[in-house]
Amino acid sequence: MFRNIYGKRILFSLRDRSTMIWTLIFPLVLGTLFFAVFGGIDTSGLLETSPLGVVNDEAFRQDEAFKVALESVSGEDGLFELHIFENTSDADSALENGDITGYVIAGDIPTLIITSDGISQTIAKSFLDRFIQTRSSIIHVIATNPAAAADLPALLAPVTFTEEITLSNNPPSNVLNYFYALFAMVSMYGGFQGLNTVVYLQANMSALGARRTVSPAKRWKLVLYDLLGGLTIQFACLVILVAYLSLVLGIDFGSQVGLILLTCLAGSMLGVSFGAMVSVSSKFKENAKVAILISVSMLSVFLSGLMVGGINYIIAQRAPIVAWINPAARITDAFYSLYFYDTYGHFFLNIGIVFGMSVIMFIITAVFLRRQRYESI
Amino acid sequence: MIQVNNLVKRYGDLVALDHFNLEVREGEIFGLLGPNGSGKTTAINCMLSLLKFSKGEVKLFGEPMRPGNYSSKRRIGIVMQNVAVFNELTVIENIDYFCGLYVPDKNERRPLVEEAIAFTGLHDFRKFLPKKLSGGLLRRLNIACGIAHKPDLIFLDEPTVAVDPQSRNHILEGIVNLNRNGATIVYTSHYMEEVEQICTRIMIMDKGKAVATGTKEELKAMIRAGEKLTVEIFDLSDTVLNEIKSLSGLIEAEYDNQLLTARCVNESYCLSAVLDTLRRNNVGFGRVFSEPPTLNDVFLEITGKDLKD
Repeated sequence: MFRNIYGKRILFSLRDRSTMIWTLIFPLVLGTLFFAVFGGIDTSGLLETSPLGVVNDEAFRQDEAFKVALESVSGEDGLFELHIFENTSDADSALENGDITGYVIAGDIPTLIITSDGISQTIAKSFLDRFIQTRSSIIHVIATNPAAAADLPALLAPVTFTEEITLSNNPPSNVLNYFYALFAMVSMYGGFQGLNTVVYLQANMSALGARRTVSPAKRWKLVLYDLLGGLTIQFACLVILVAYLSLVLGIDFGSQVGLILLTCLAGSMLGVSFGAMVSVSSKFKENAKVAILISVSMLSVFLSGLMVGGINYIIAQRAPIVAWINPAARITDAFYSLYFYDTYGHFFLNIGIVFGMSVIMFIITAVFLRRQRYESI
Repeated sequence: MIQVNNLVKRYGDLVALDHFNLEVREGEIFGLLGPNGSGKTTAINCMLSLLKFSKGEVKLFGEPMRPGNYSSKRRIGIVMQNVAVFNELTVIENIDYFCGLYVPDKNERRPLVEEAIAFTGLHDFRKFLPKKLSGGLLRRLNIACGIAHKPDLIFLDEPTVAVDPQSRNHILEGIVNLNRNGATIVYTSHYMEEVEQICTRIMIMDKGKAVATGTKEELKAMIRAGEKLTVEIFDLSDTVLNEIKSLSGLIEAEYDNQLLTARCVNESYCLSAVLDTLRRNNVGFGRVFSEPPTLNDVFLEITGKDLKD
């Protein structure tokens, strides 16, 4: 009995084109679009290493201090990617070809040669100005007060009066919230699975429901096995989306795979139970139920920040009760707290609420679905 | 097999079943005949315990029928008026699914599914999705899903609606075969020809009430009207028409559109008397038709309206 109902439900759902479009294809496309549009936002403010040339002439070879200073800010994580040229004509060619943003000629006052303006050129000029200024200060101190030379390293060391610390496991990201809201949207679309189960099990909703109701299969088995089939498909769609975004597009959702899957499962349960409850507790036609389901889902997802970034924070501050009872916001927040927080308290609070909501909605559905006799069909 | 006593079903102020009584015996093909809205489907849904009813009692296989009576449900097959199959499952998957609700063991189920496919002539379409099937084939699939588990009692609710003549004949032959194989059948239709063709006993329903029950012969014997004569005549004078009307054994006669139609009293045969009158008055006539009374005539005489209305 289980294999028959569960297995056919899986087949049925996989072949149900509209459900698969809404719960799998559309989210994959939307996720890809998010990636294309928002992909560079988090790194757009970071400085990139710029290619800078230096002419390896006699002056450069003799100027050990300049060499050390230049090398100290160059390299993989430095300001510059150094290109050494034997003469100025080679450096000019490279500059003309765009291989470097500028080049430096060493001397008492090092000279920066550039052909255009830009951030890289400004950084190179700032570095040279700072070097010239520091070297001039050192020469002046040694000339006027040689005894103070010993204190020079301490005096010239950069002093900062603030300390950068991170409150989260991972660096902050403005983009991840959109993907979390996308996961919440897919979870809510699990409502289609719940709706199908209910519509095709109620004799007053469909001929299929009537046929199944008069069968000798026990009611609770029909409901449970069918919902499990729908839940399996919904969970699989969500996992495929997460896997696609993280493995194919390379978006980092953290390394707690088990807890990510748990969140996917909780979200899927919430969506399926929500759809089942909306369907079972209203007397509208199937199309009207679908409309209610989509409207409530989209409102819920909107308030969790899918369309307008940051609206979830505004709702959480100004209408905290709405935020707490908004299922999409709980799913979004569960993913968020899993990635950013180094403790699990907030995550499990969200997961607990999501599971709690699901159980309540499943119970309401079960109470309504127990009925097998109707006033009218 | 089925015992329904004083069943009353109301939809608000509308009485859909009005102290409805029914008895179906084992081995019968029992026809419920009536126009749309006469209460046939409501009666079936009450018998199957899908609908709540205000009053009365339903017994199937000698036991009161309730939603939790799984032992009775196991012996019932149902073919709904609306096609009840999954559009996303193939023909064989659909039949296997519904059969599986009655027969959980897959090995036991497999031959039953194959038999149902053969029985309904769907062998060439077993891998088809329902949307690829014609209306007639879809109806056959609907039937296969309802009978694959070999039920003892089968409810067929208007299974031939919107079906082409070829599929209709196939379906009707199949129903007779199911009955020969031991199933008791309750068949609802508003097509009197079908009911006459296959049913061993018939109940005529109107406005939620059983207006007459019996074999087709018994039903036809209940009414005054007998055979109906139709004669093609180029021209018929009022004098001759009045002479025909005065013939004994004739209920009515009229001439319209070059056709003389006459209705005889039941069990009386007045064809020769009518033709003799025409010959005696030198009235030439063309083709002559004689039709025995139909269930529509029975319905018309009992309710005062046409079954097709």
